[in-house]
Amino acid sequence: MAARNIDQIHFHKLSEGSKPVLVDFWAPWCGYCRRIGPAYDRIADQFSEEIEVVKINIDEEPHLANAEKIEVIPTLVLYKNGNAVDSVVAPESKAAIEAFIHQALHK
Amino acid sequence: MNPHIYDMLIIGGGPAGYTAGLYAARAGLDVLLLEKLSAGGQMALTHQIDNYPGFPDGIDGFELGEKMQQQAEFFGAKTEYADVTAVELNADPKAVHSSEGTFYGRTVVIATGANPRELGLAKEKALVGKGVAYCAACDGMAFRDKTVAVVGGGNSAVADALLLSRIAKKVYLIHRRDSLRATKVYHHQLEKAENVEFIWNTQVTDLLSEEKLTGVQIQNTLSGERTTTALDGLFISVGRAPATGLFDGQLALDASGYIIADESTKTSLPGVYAIGDVRSKAVRQIVTAVADGAVAVHMAEEFLAEHV
Repeated sequence: MAARNIDQIHFHKLSEGSKPVLVDFWAPWCGYCRRIGPAYDRIADQFSEEIEVVKINIDEEPHLANAEKIEVIPTLVLYKNGNAVDSVVAPESKAAIEAFIHQALHK
Repeated sequence: MNPHIYDMLIIGGGPAGYTAGLYAARAGLDVLLLEKLSAGGQMALTHQIDNYPGFPDGIDGFELGEKMQQQAEFFGAKTEYADVTAVELNADPKAVHSSEGTFYGRTVVIATGANPRELGLAKEKALVGKGVAYCAACDGMAFRDKTVAVVGGGNSAVADALLLSRIAKKVYLIHRRDSLRATKVYHHQLEKAENVEFIWNTQVTDLLSEEKLTGVQIQNTLSGERTTTALDGLFISVGRAPATGLFDGQLALDASGYIIADESTKTSLPGVYAIGDVRSKAVRQIVTAVADGAVAVHMAEEFLAEHV
């Protein structure tokens, strides 16, 4: 199953939940965002029980991207209880995304 | 239980790797391709490819990569999304260790490509994503109406400067020589871009930053004089470096780190082949990468027939 694209309202709803939320801030014009896309979808399958794995298009949600201080994409941010605990810019492999998740979950 | 031994392991899923996968699968070989992220390699970062025959209107590199993967997989090649961490190319069978475990193959085809070369300055790594970038097509949009510089004088540096001139307020092109190495077609366009300024005979000697990049210290290579320039972004475009760190000490590499292999794609080890941009060669293009893929499978078939 592909990672869902969500909007600001949905994001705030998810942040209030008990499940950690992983967000991929991306945009359609960003080449590297597309490159991580297939790996990110597999991550969404793999971690579906433990984490809400979603995407936010910064062109559609500029205010949210601004509020979350996203300046470069793709940036992946892990939120726990509504707080950003860690982020990674342009991870170079699926393994690097997994390593980031494991590390961030324990913060 | 004995581990599964593939006829062929391919490391890297760019055009070279997936062409080898296609030819190997069609030749009836049991073939596994290891890719760390997604199909296409460097090609996947190019929005429009106009020099791959058969697509008169151009084709998107990412899409072409996905199609190459689909075609190879249609004929039976398998893909594992794995980050390779070490190889034993002299072993029998040859072993490839990765984030998804160890895989064994009677032959190994290396298609790991090349990555952008770094300037090697202090803080360079730390500032990636904070003003320092290597791909104008990827990160350029973040610098709308800002001041940026491109370092380099080759085709990709010039193409980056042109792209950025349409986005940024001001673009400096910093080059250590007094003229460009870029192909002529770019020169005219660049001269027409009013917001591009050349800084010749100059090297970047330091990155200035607070939380993010704020500018660069540059040095004139003739006078030795150092000055600083305020910047929001620095795009480094000084060529590419092959991804051969894993093979150093096991395979013969040339002075730039590329794997030494001629048109046969045979490396210094029997049963190990180097294809695409990672191989020492004169022309690094998609068409030469895919050609390497087909050749490597032919050579591997001969090797497998002799080593039953």
